Amino acid sequence: MLEVKNLTKRFGSQEVLKGISLAISEGEILFVLGRSGTGKSVLLKNIVGLLKPESGQILLEGREISKLSEEEYFEVRKMCGMVFQHPALFDSLTVYENVAFGLRRHFPGMTPEEVKKRVTECLDLVHLEGVEDKLPPQISYGMQKRVSLARTIAVEPRYLLFDEPTTGLDPVTTNAINRLISELSRKLNTTSIVVSHDMHCALEIADRIAVLDQGQLIALGTPSELLKSQVPLVKDFLAEITEEDRSRWLS
Amino acid sequence: MVIITPAIRILDGVGGGLMFLGEIIRTLRKYKIDREAILTQIYNISMASFFTTASSGFFVGALMSVQFNMQLRQFGALSVLGGLSTSATVRELGPLLIAFMLSGKVGAYTSAELGIMRVTEQIDAMRCLGTNPMQYLVAPRFLGIIISAFFLLFLGLLMSILGGVILATLVADLSPSEFINTIPMYVEGHSVLSGLFKCLCFSVLLATVCTYKGYTTTGGAKGVGKTVLATALATMVGLVLLDWFTTYLAGVLLDTWRAITI
Repeated sequence: MLEVKNLTKRFGSQEVLKGISLAISEGEILFVLGRSGTGKSVLLKNIVGLLKPESGQILLEGREISKLSEEEYFEVRKMCGMVFQHPALFDSLTVYENVAFGLRRHFPGMTPEEVKKRVTECLDLVHLEGVEDKLPPQISYGMQKRVSLARTIAVEPRYLLFDEPTTGLDPVTTNAINRLISELSRKLNTTSIVVSHDMHCALEIADRIAVLDQGQLIALGTPSELLKSQVPLVKDFLAEITEEDRSRWLS
Repeated sequence: MVIITPAIRILDGVGGGLMFLGEIIRTLRKYKIDREAILTQIYNISMASFFTTASSGFFVGALMSVQFNMQLRQFGALSVLGGLSTSATVRELGPLLIAFMLSGKVGAYTSAELGIMRVTEQIDAMRCLGTNPMQYLVAPRFLGIIISAFFLLFLGLLMSILGGVILATLVADLSPSEFINTIPMYVEGHSVLSGLFKCLCFSVLLATVCTYKGYTTTGGAKGVGKTVLATALATMVGLVLLDWFTTYLAGVLLDTWRAITI
């Protein structure tokens, strides 16, 4: 279980997170929605220790992790994999080397054969084949995103954090990535937090949806609960949902 | 406020750079740095900048020969051309001008490379995959730049002597041996040491500024552009200030040494 309690984060005089509290159960898929600049990505980066909160607690399976040092975060990051907004692949390494990168650091005892087997498995999981020897700029943006996902799941994290995984993708690839997130979370039984702007996708695959506005949590509930919400920003997000879809999800 | 705000920004940058240097030194002491990564950096930097450094060194020496030729000819003192122009090149102008060339090439490349890795979240991804970017990215580049820049500057100085000899032969009708024979009269051991000390200080400055600026880049593609510009500006100004300081320090050390030995 992952718990965030009264988390605050400030950049200079700007308070980005204002006392966020959330709890995510094992195996759950939680979507975090909100307008740009409301602190969604900052929340994820605090969880994996890329940013340090001003106050509050982050409890990972009961252990407070927000005050850990960079070295101590090593074990946390083995448990919590993050997929970034950009594919963030290492340009000078091949697709194979990118996927093997984390494996070699987190599991130094693995033999080359074991690494190869795991890399192939992960690329299969994200439906990519024949791209192992290509460099990231030689494959499409959508494929880069999937390689990024394969690289993250390679170390078998129990928690997967996705930072706007479908930003900049066409609708077909967006659907494919969303299906992949759902499929992987169910297949690998991971707990997932997905930061997104896509309410349609959230209603489709999330167990619960959280909505942030100006650094505060303004709504949290199951898709059917969110559909009945009277919070203005949630209603704005729901404006794109057709009546047909609405009644389908409510039923 | 017009003066205070930029002054605070400069002090902030200098302080940040020094703290970053401290962090690099801590990383070098605490972690093992991959030797292959350092050698790769040395190879890449040396190969990319070999021709630039050698040619700029050659022309710095040639330039000094031409300038001193014009001045010394008036006094009929062309016989000391080799010593004087080589002394000026080795002690002062050579390291500075060649370091300018290197800062444009190595500094801009490294800061842009790290800057792009920062804004595309590659550095954050690296941290998430259990790797310390200071150990894996910054330290090998820092050491690679220092080692290769030091030797490239040394190569540039040797090429500057060659450039001086050739131009003296062409414009002052001096034979190479006439040029070279006067060098020991004006270029003593401490001049060479002073030049090499400067080369080392310039290499450390260049390595620190470009890794610091690149690693702390923010703001997307525009941010990377600003980083490259800031790196060029900081290294150029830093090199001139460091040149003054090392000249002053070398002078003080030389006077002290002379006072002790006499």
